[in-house]
Amino acid sequence: MSRWMPESVWLGRSEEASPLAQRVLARVGPTPVYIVDDTAVAEPAGDFSAGKRRLVLQPHRGTFLHHCPAGTTGMVCCNYLVLNFASNCPFDCSYCFLQDYLANNPAIKAFTNPGDGLDEIDAILKAKPDRTFRIGTGELADSLALDHLTDLSCELVPFFAARPNALLELKTKSDCIDNLLGLDPKDRVVVSWSVSPPALIAADEPGTIPLEARAAAARRVQAAGYTIGFHFDPLIAHDGWEANYRAAIETIFRHLDTRRIAWVSLGSLRMTPRLKSLIRDRPQPASVLATELVPGPDGKERVWRGMRVKMYRQLLAWLREVDPQMPVYICMEPATVWERVVGHVPADRELAQRLVAARA
Amino acid sequence: MTETDLQAAVRAYGAGRHYRAATLERWLALAAADAAALLDLAQDCRLGENQLRDLWEWLSDIAARERLTLAAVLALDAVAAARRQPVGRNDRLRLVKSALRRLRYPQLSALEDRMTDLLRGLDLPRNVQLTLPDFLEGDAVHIEIVATDPDSLRAAAECLARAADSPACRELFALLGEAP
Repeated sequence: MSRWMPESVWLGRSEEASPLAQRVLARVGPTPVYIVDDTAVAEPAGDFSAGKRRLVLQPHRGTFLHHCPAGTTGMVCCNYLVLNFASNCPFDCSYCFLQDYLANNPAIKAFTNPGDGLDEIDAILKAKPDRTFRIGTGELADSLALDHLTDLSCELVPFFAARPNALLELKTKSDCIDNLLGLDPKDRVVVSWSVSPPALIAADEPGTIPLEARAAAARRVQAAGYTIGFHFDPLIAHDGWEANYRAAIETIFRHLDTRRIAWVSLGSLRMTPRLKSLIRDRPQPASVLATELVPGPDGKERVWRGMRVKMYRQLLAWLREVDPQMPVYICMEPATVWERVVGHVPADRELAQRLVAARA
Repeated sequence: MTETDLQAAVRAYGAGRHYRAATLERWLALAAADAAALLDLAQDCRLGENQLRDLWEWLSDIAARERLTLAAVLALDAVAAARRQPVGRNDRLRLVKSALRRLRYPQLSALEDRMTDLLRGLDLPRNVQLTLPDFLEGDAVHIEIVATDPDSLRAAAECLARAADSPACRELFALLGEAP
C-alpha cells in the first residue's frame, strides 16, 4: 500500500527542533518544506482538496481532549473522549463531515507538541483513578494515516499501555500499522477500522485501502496483541445494501478471533444541510446523495427512521451470527431507536462501562 | 433564447423577487438548459427564493441519483403532468412539490401511501384526527379529538378503541417502527 506524502510541508519556525517535526522532515524526501513564522499562510482559502495535499507542522494551542460531539442532547451517549493530535485527513471520503467542519482551515496538521496532550490526559487519569476512559484520536483525523511520517503511535501506545484506567482507540481506514506491530499494547489499545462494502469504498472513500486490506491489517494487528474494533458508520442505504453489508461482514470477520473484538459500532449516514451542499459541489458525483435522507430533530439529515431501524436490526443479527457475544453499540441515535433495535435503552454510564469491559 | 437573454431573464426574475446574489450566481452557473428549465419552473409557479431553493435541492438529489440533468428531471412525466394541471398557482406549486417529493423519496412515499390507506381503513370519525410524524421520523402518532360534550368524547374514544384493535392499526404501528 502506498503511503500518503504531502506535496508541501509547512513548518512553524518555532517548531524546527521538535522531535515530531524532525521525524517528518527526515521522511518527506524531496517534498518542498517552507519554514514560516505563521503557519496560517499554508491554508489554501476555499480549496479543501488543496488543503489535503499540504502538511502543516505546528503546536496545538488549547486543550487536546474533548467530549465526543456525538453526545448530542437526546442521543444515547457512550461517554467517548476525543484526543486531537492532528487535524484533517489525507483521504477524501465523499460523506466526511470534515469538509464542513474544517472548511476554513483544511490544511492537514500534525501537532508538534503531543507531549503536552499526554500530560493533559495523565492529569485527568490520575484525578479519576476509579473511572475508565475510552479515548480516541480518530475524530478530526485518521489515527494512523500519518503514522509513517510522525511515529506518533510509538508515543501513544506505550503511554496508554502503562495506564490501567484508559483505553486508547486508533481508528483508521489505512494499513499504516508497521509501528504498532513492534509495540506491546498490554490490552489498553484498540485498533479499529471503518467498514463499508467494496463498491462504496471504491466510489466514496478515495485514497483509503480496500476492504480486504482492512481485514488483513486487522488480522495482523490482532495477532500482535491488540484488541480490534469495527465501525459500520456511515451505514449507507443503497440498492443491494443487504447483500453488500452481509458480504462485508463475512470478509471482515472471516479470520479474526471474535473474542478479541472490543466493540463494533453501527451508525447511519448523517449530514448537515451545509455538508450536503458541499458534497453536491464535489467534482465527482457522490452516491450518498441518492439515499432518502430526511431532516431529524437535531438538524441533521439521516435516512428515514424505519429504514435505519431495519438496517441496524439486520446488521446486528448478522453480527450476532458471527458471535452472539459481539459487543455492538449504535452511534448518535435516540433512545427510541435503541429500544427498537436492541430492545432496551442503556444509560450512558452503563453503555460506557460495557464498552470498556475487556473481552480477553 | 440566447445565453445572454437567459442570463438577463434570470437576473430580472431574481431582482423582481429580491433573490440574494449568491443564489443568482449559483443559478447562472448551471448549464444553460438547466438554468432555463429552472427559470421556466420559477416563472410558472412564481417561486420565492426559499421555495425555489427547496425544489432545486430535491431536483439536484434526484438528478444525482438518476444521473439526469435538472432539465431532464423537470421534463419527467410526473413533474410535467403536475405542471399541466389547470389549477391556480398555489395548487400547481403543491402538485409540483408533491411530484418531486415522490421522486426524491420513492420508498418513503410508497410507505406513506400504504399508511394513508391504513389510516382510512381505521374509519375514524371526522372529529378524530390522527397525524403521522413528518417524514415518518418518529414512532408516535398524534391524535386530536374535538369533543363538544361528553357523548361526543365517548363516541370518539369508542371509535379509537375499535380502531386500536384492528389489524390495520397494528400494521400501521409496525410500519412506523421499521421499514417493511
